[in-house]
Amino acid sequence: MRLFWFETYKAFSRWRTYISFSAIAIVVIVSEIVMKVSASEILFRMMKMFQKDFLISGNVLNGWFITGFIMNSLHIHIPFLITLVAGDMVSGVATSGTVRLLLIRPPSRSRIITAKYLTALFYTAALVLFFSLLCALLGIALFGTGDLIVHHYGKYGIVLIPEGQVPLRMLLAFAAAIWSMTVVASLAFLFSALAENSIGPIIGSMAVVIIFLVFGNLPLDFFRDLSPYLFTSYMNLWQRAFDVPIPWASIAKSAIILGLHNIGLFWVAMIIYRRKDIKS
Amino acid sequence: MKKTFVLLFTLFSLCSQWVRADEEAVRYLDAIEKKYSELKDYTADVNVHFDIETFKTPDMKAKLYFKAPDKMKVESKGVFFFPREGGFFNPALFRRDDVEIKMLELAAERKEEVKLKIVPKKKEKVGREFVLLIDRNDTLIKQIYMSQFDGRETKAKIEYGKYGSFDLPRVILLTLDVPSMDPGEKRGLGPFEQKSERITGTIEITYANYKVNTGLKDEIFTQK
Repeated sequence: MRLFWFETYKAFSRWRTYISFSAIAIVVIVSEIVMKVSASEILFRMMKMFQKDFLISGNVLNGWFITGFIMNSLHIHIPFLITLVAGDMVSGVATSGTVRLLLIRPPSRSRIITAKYLTALFYTAALVLFFSLLCALLGIALFGTGDLIVHHYGKYGIVLIPEGQVPLRMLLAFAAAIWSMTVVASLAFLFSALAENSIGPIIGSMAVVIIFLVFGNLPLDFFRDLSPYLFTSYMNLWQRAFDVPIPWASIAKSAIILGLHNIGLFWVAMIIYRRKDIKS
Repeated sequence: MKKTFVLLFTLFSLCSQWVRADEEAVRYLDAIEKKYSELKDYTADVNVHFDIETFKTPDMKAKLYFKAPDKMKVESKGVFFFPREGGFFNPALFRRDDVEIKMLELAAERKEEVKLKIVPKKKEKVGREFVLLIDRNDTLIKQIYMSQFDGRETKAKIEYGKYGSFDLPRVILLTLDVPSMDPGEKRGLGPFEQKSERITGTIEITYANYKVNTGLKDEIFTQK
């Protein structure tokens, strides 16, 4: 535990760690202010399809809607911010030249790498939570609360979640979002254990995420058959928190698959780290 | 010469029959307008139940305000989706000056219902066509079939109840048949794009607690 806090302190002492938080803060604050200013335009674009057939009353553009909207727009970009720190966790020590100093200390390599991994997960959770809470709290302050309308742009369909159920659904979505992003952290962590500098793991992890996302979304039978084997196909499990009824079985399946990826990636990282030659 | 005369006579007879039929059609709508001429305003509690696969929503409740000739407002605590066409009752919706009326099925004496085709003249309603099924005995619109140029089709079946001296809708059952994607939306990669499917389903609108001719003020309809 002491090692974990030590690693966490180290990670949060670096200014690089705060790039992600700052980037998210800028994006969320600016987006929400602009959305507040152009609320009617957003409403028109989102509800254009229904306004031909329905009169829509009530506070559709509320804080919960804004939170879902921004999370939907940014869940592809958040992995990049996660890799900035997770990809530097192990390789950063090699880059700074302190790896020998670290590994001659009493704690075993397994304990050191476990502490580093837990720190990467902690950072991931903190970042996603910061993003989600900033979206929700600022959204509620600017737009108020109300029923949540979930609408897939351009499609004739909605899911309406009554206001009373929304906070719990949001918490479930936040937890699921954290869980799905831990796989990106694990992947970046594995690459970090393999590399001697941080650029490779960061770019490598993002390349894998982008390639998997592209493959998973190409509308060809080959890629459709391939998509169940890509972890990115399960990363949108947070969106299922807004389905009616909540598809618990599907959420559990995705969560287990992502969890197995975490275990597998960390296990490989640990083996590599334990066998790492630091003498040459 | 004889043949031409027969042809002209037949044409003339048919024309006069059509003109008579259209005049009769106008009379049916006039009768409805007259029947509700004393209906100045009403309020009612509305419950909307969606039975559409892509609409996952609990029943929505609201209060509906109507003031003749065409002021309408819904007030709800939460988000409320209310069908624009056929969702509420406005006896002056098809005023003879605003629409072209055609008789679709000639009413034989024993027939209780007639079908009229209505084409709005107003600019904002161009591209829509309505077919009304009118109960001749009760002077009530029992069904409204609406079609729009972009392929949206709606059918409203109206059940009436007696509220004061007026027959007002108790239940309106709307059947929707609309494209699943916005025609303006382009998705996918050209040749792989999925064909646009249609969404069908019903919306049941139940009315209760009518209050008729309470003297609703215009300000109610201008408030946000």
